[in-house]
Amino acid sequence: MSAKPQLSKGVLQMKFMKRTKDKVDEELAALEGRTMYSNEITDRMMNDSSNFIIEPSFMRCEDLIDGRLSFRGMNPEIERLLELEEQERQAKTRHEMGKDVTDQEMVDYYGNVVQTISRKFDTHRKRKGNREESESKPMKFLKPKDED
Amino acid sequence: MSAVLVPGEAVSEIEEVAKTKKVVLGPGLRRTNDSVLACKAGVLCKKAPNMFWIDSYQRRYVPVRGECVLGVVTQKAGDIFRVDIGAHEQACLSYLAFEGATKKNRPDIQLGDLLYARLVVASRDLEPELVCVNSHGKKEKLGVLNDGFVFNCSINLVRKILNKNCPLLQALQREMPFEVAVGMNGRIWIKAKTMRETIAVGNAILATEFVSNDDIRKLCENIGNILFT
Repeated sequence: MSAKPQLSKGVLQMKFMKRTKDKVDEELAALEGRTMYSNEITDRMMNDSSNFIIEPSFMRCEDLIDGRLSFRGMNPEIERLLELEEQERQAKTRHEMGKDVTDQEMVDYYGNVVQTISRKFDTHRKRKGNREESESKPMKFLKPKDED
Repeated sequence: MSAVLVPGEAVSEIEEVAKTKKVVLGPGLRRTNDSVLACKAGVLCKKAPNMFWIDSYQRRYVPVRGECVLGVVTQKAGDIFRVDIGAHEQACLSYLAFEGATKKNRPDIQLGDLLYARLVVASRDLEPELVCVNSHGKKEKLGVLNDGFVFNCSINLVRKILNKNCPLLQALQREMPFEVAVGMNGRIWIKAKTMRETIAVGNAILATEFVSNDDIRKLCENIGNILFT
């Protein structure tokens, strides 16, 4: 049945086989557990994807507020906490802030910056080359033609 | 949506929805395999998109994880306090579950103290466990409540006054300054400047149980008028 070779008890008890022994023991325990509960675990329990979520609290069903409240300075400590909560809630609901810089402006500016910085990292010669691409190569000595 | 259900009745409406998408079952509903049964007598409620629960009259508190409750310390037992929260069993509260508490620096809690605490363990097989700190170790709104006045009410009333649309607390605070701690276990602690005002707040809260939202505003105005004339 088992394709894997089984190690004998004597071999497993040797000192250098300690790690293998642990592994074998673990496998054995897992197998025992599976056989012990196999008649109680149904296929349904093994792979059930239920559509039901249980929520035992009314707090989330009815969106109840927190029950600790203070009004008009009766307990400043609690009121400060409530104020912070309120601010947090407002920050969540508030719309996004308007833009100071339009997207087009940003693209123009950023494009320029990229060019400037990339020029800085160019080697001197390359930079020169870029600038004077249209110019011809440095002049060479032209040998005069011999006239016989 | 006003179907009245009795315990054991199948709720075919939810079963239909559950065939295609996820459904959240709130209090009062339970499922066995693919069928959904009511386990309380009451009115079926729905919240969009797919949350269902049963609204029923109830005075007995069943602990639920994450809810805040009011409890009375009844016993100090070594490392833990026993706290009566009105559930089937007393809750336990470790002395380390307070802000700044260490093994050497124990919190100053006496027998009979009133606590506003959060449930972290609430299972039908385990005893409920409370804490007085949040997950960052800060006490925030939890802890011992001093002075004031405690009374019991139904769990429906607690849900009613904590509802976002309930005008009670806003209307009351227009009349007088006060402080309140509402536990989901049907206990309410209130504290106002004078005894007269405290009693007025307590009566106003108890009176709202069967009053509509519009009448609540009138009721609070009346109380203010009676108090300050």
